[in-house]
Amino acid sequence: MSEDPFSDRLKRLEDRIESARAGRVERPSPGAAKFTQSSLAWRMVTELVAGLLLGLGIGWGLDSLFGTRPVLLVVFVLVGFVAGVRVMIRTADEVRAGKSEGARLPKPGK
Amino acid sequence: MAGEYVEGELNIKPMAQFDVVPLFGGTEVHWYTLTNATLWMGLTVLSVSLLMVAGSRGRAQIPSRMQSIPEVTYGFIRKMIEDIAGKEGMKYFPYIFTLFLFILFANLLALIPASFSSTSHFVVTGVLALAVFVSVTAIGFAKHGLGFLGLFWVSSAPTVALRIVLAIIELVSYFVRPLSQSIRLAGNLMAGHAVLKVFAGFAGVMGAGAVFPIVAITSVYGLELLVACIQAYVFTILTVVYLNDALHPGH
Repeated sequence: MSEDPFSDRLKRLEDRIESARAGRVERPSPGAAKFTQSSLAWRMVTELVAGLLLGLGIGWGLDSLFGTRPVLLVVFVLVGFVAGVRVMIRTADEVRAGKSEGARLPKPGK
Repeated sequence: MAGEYVEGELNIKPMAQFDVVPLFGGTEVHWYTLTNATLWMGLTVLSVSLLMVAGSRGRAQIPSRMQSIPEVTYGFIRKMIEDIAGKEGMKYFPYIFTLFLFILFANLLALIPASFSSTSHFVVTGVLALAVFVSVTAIGFAKHGLGFLGLFWVSSAPTVALRIVLAIIELVSYFVRPLSQSIRLAGNLMAGHAVLKVFAGFAGVMGAGAVFPIVAITSVYGLELLVACIQAYVFTILTVVYLNDALHPGH
């Protein structure tokens, strides 16, 4: 009596579950993948616009504080724009590192 | 258009659904006034606690359907935190889980016809994003002290002047994050619900042709269901990403 017949069956069942699971993770539905990509694109657009708006707000506020209306406004709109681009790049880095919403997508090369 | 419909005037007010009105008469809204926003946020909290507390009450080894909903949701968020922020992030699991459930249920309850969509208001999402912003910043300073400011100091830049410019940009971009987080959630919800209302307005004046807007409403509704879930997920994953930045501030 070396093997319990049940443990053998249990093992086979586990193997089957494991292989079924491995098969399932590989292919997310194409519709959802497309949707996640568009949501990622929207995220980047919002970040860009939010950067601009924030720069605009900061510039406007500081200008009213110091009475130098157009100068700081222009400067901070530019800074805000660059900051927005910076956030966008960081988002792209996160996606590449597999740490963001696009992470579950299959890599394009594979 | 179709002549048989008497009140055939286009009467579309897509933004009227977002009005905050007092529940028990009156027109003024004070900070203590119970409004429809209060009601639907309360219902959100109620349904979350109902599902989570009552659902997991059985504590069965083999979960019932009701019990597997909290279990699967728990596992989902847990895996997200462990993947992104690592084991240290698990300390903040309760907060993130609560945030996810609140946004998810507020989004889903907003899809009930004639309900009020609380997460379509920038006030609500702004407060949620600000809470995340403040707590993540506090965690960063508590964990690393002033070293947390190293997040803004790009030491790979060649000159000091350039580093100062980059520091300003990094600082502004740090403040961009809660703004974009809140705009995205509220904007998505608001846009989707406004589109639904516009199509519904078309259906009112087209007579038999109303079939087309109704089909459109049905498909947009399906899309909105997806948006509701995805936006809750996105808000949560961003929170975890920011938390990860605070826990490991190195670039």
